[in-house]
Amino acid sequence: MNAPKQNSLVVVIDDDPSIRRALDSLLRSVGLDVRTFVSVEEFERNTLPDMPTCLVLDIRMPGMSGLDFQRKLAGADRPFPIIFITGHGDIPMTVQAMKAGAIEFLAKPFRDQDLLEAIQAGLETDRTRRAELADLHELRARLSSLTPREREVMSHVATGRLNKQIAADLDVSEITIKVCRGQVMRKMQAVSFADLVRMADRLGVTLTDDH
Amino acid sequence: MRGAQNLMASSRPWIERIGGRSEARTLSSARVLPFVTALLAGLIFVADTFTSLEIAVAVFYVVVVLLSAIFARPRGVIVFSFGCVVLTVASYFLTPGGDIQAGLINTFISIVAIGSTTFLVLRNQSAQLAADDARTQLAHISRVTTLGELAASIAHEVNQPLGAIVTNGNATVRWLSIDPPNLHEAIKTLGYIVEDADRASQIIARLRRLTRRAPAMAVPVDVNDAIREITSLMQHEFRRHRIVLQLSLSDALPRARGDRVQVQQVVLNLLLNAVEAVTAVGDRSRELTIATALEDAKHVCVSVTDTGPGIEASVAERMFDAFYTTKPDGMGIGLAVTRSIVEAHGGRIQVKPNSPQGTTIQFTIPVARGVLPQ
Repeated sequence: MNAPKQNSLVVVIDDDPSIRRALDSLLRSVGLDVRTFVSVEEFERNTLPDMPTCLVLDIRMPGMSGLDFQRKLAGADRPFPIIFITGHGDIPMTVQAMKAGAIEFLAKPFRDQDLLEAIQAGLETDRTRRAELADLHELRARLSSLTPREREVMSHVATGRLNKQIAADLDVSEITIKVCRGQVMRKMQAVSFADLVRMADRLGVTLTDDH
Repeated sequence: MRGAQNLMASSRPWIERIGGRSEARTLSSARVLPFVTALLAGLIFVADTFTSLEIAVAVFYVVVVLLSAIFARPRGVIVFSFGCVVLTVASYFLTPGGDIQAGLINTFISIVAIGSTTFLVLRNQSAQLAADDARTQLAHISRVTTLGELAASIAHEVNQPLGAIVTNGNATVRWLSIDPPNLHEAIKTLGYIVEDADRASQIIARLRRLTRRAPAMAVPVDVNDAIREITSLMQHEFRRHRIVLQLSLSDALPRARGDRVQVQQVVLNLLLNAVEAVTAVGDRSRELTIATALEDAKHVCVSVTDTGPGIEASVAERMFDAFYTTKPDGMGIGLAVTRSIVEAHGGRIQVKPNSPQGTTIQFTIPVARGVLPQ
């Protein structure tokens, strides 16, 4: 648990001041950056720095409940991993929370080690998600650098069609397709044909024309 | 004896206890009445002594006994009545003229009148006392039952600071195990532990005060403070039902005259009633407001407002009746006890519909004697 700080943030949302400051002290003592909020509403009024983030929140709070918030976050552009804390073992709620993708569900009083491990897992999840997201952004940028014709060729190539077939479909020479395909490979920075297919898959590039 | 009962009904002898009286006794009557009573006894003695033996002025000593019942406890009443008998006998011997036989009969009649009046006054007093005790006990039983229903909430309320203590303890260990140890943070976190432990023990203390069985005593009560204590015990109940509680407590509220725990019980019952009302509505905003204000300079007014579905007029009329309930598992005791407490304090309780929705229940408690509104 030492020196886990890799530019990450833990957000604590709890309406009880005692719990808030205790969690704040505990998390800071292991070197985590912490921000605490009284309510979901207060959290939403603030903008967070763009870094791997994990949420620790009480499942029952006045105003918007933890579960409602989880549902709302899932639909948002930053689906933070959530660790729920509850004062009492509420089984239906636990099931609901875990189904909705909560990292962990801790009943008070919990072992600090359990919480810290859950937080590490949560931060790791968010880090992975962010890395994937960054990759996707990069790929999208590459895709947008293609000309319409190259894009068309890429969608055909990705479905496994031969140059000859594509040339016939698009009514151009096979040489043109070959050149075009080389351009696509270069612009997309694909190291192999398989790599390009995988990229097309992630980007959702499919045959969009009349075929 | 009708007169004696009326006197008893309108004016209670043991002022410190909360009883069925509807008016707080005024400052003047509390101090002046014993003197007036003694003076009256003196006047009757003089009149009895200087009129002839045939005239039974001594019968008027019954008024002295009745007056003494207003301000004295049973023992004091006995002292007054014994004094009256002594004065009657003394007058018989001191009276200068008249028919001795008639005088003897008149003295005998007077003593019987004084004695029987005393007997009835004492019996009435002890009946009142028993009624007060019964009311106190019923209030106690009802209070403990209510707190029993709140047990899960109260346990959670204690659990919060305890959970914080555990976390703070762990944090302190970690602050101290860093190399070099961060003493500043460790000390700060230890301070949190002390505060949280204090918070937990305060909750227990509040709970103990509420469950204690003691005769209801009228003392000056800081109603705002009493309300805050109750709402702090109910925090989890509000969280559980996702209710937003608004406290709108008047800053310039004089202290009320009453029994602190019973006033809290009234607030607790009304709040629980309101919680039930707002949870009956689906997703509409669940809001409760508890407000205090000074009413007509003589009463502290507490109102509990909910955004529930409201109460039908037919229910509102009967909701404070004993054994009247709209709940399948209710006993119909809580609100009946609530009303009896408020009325025993010399206050009033009423239900008002709210617009656009919801209900306000408000009650009044007289301002404490000698406390002026600020």
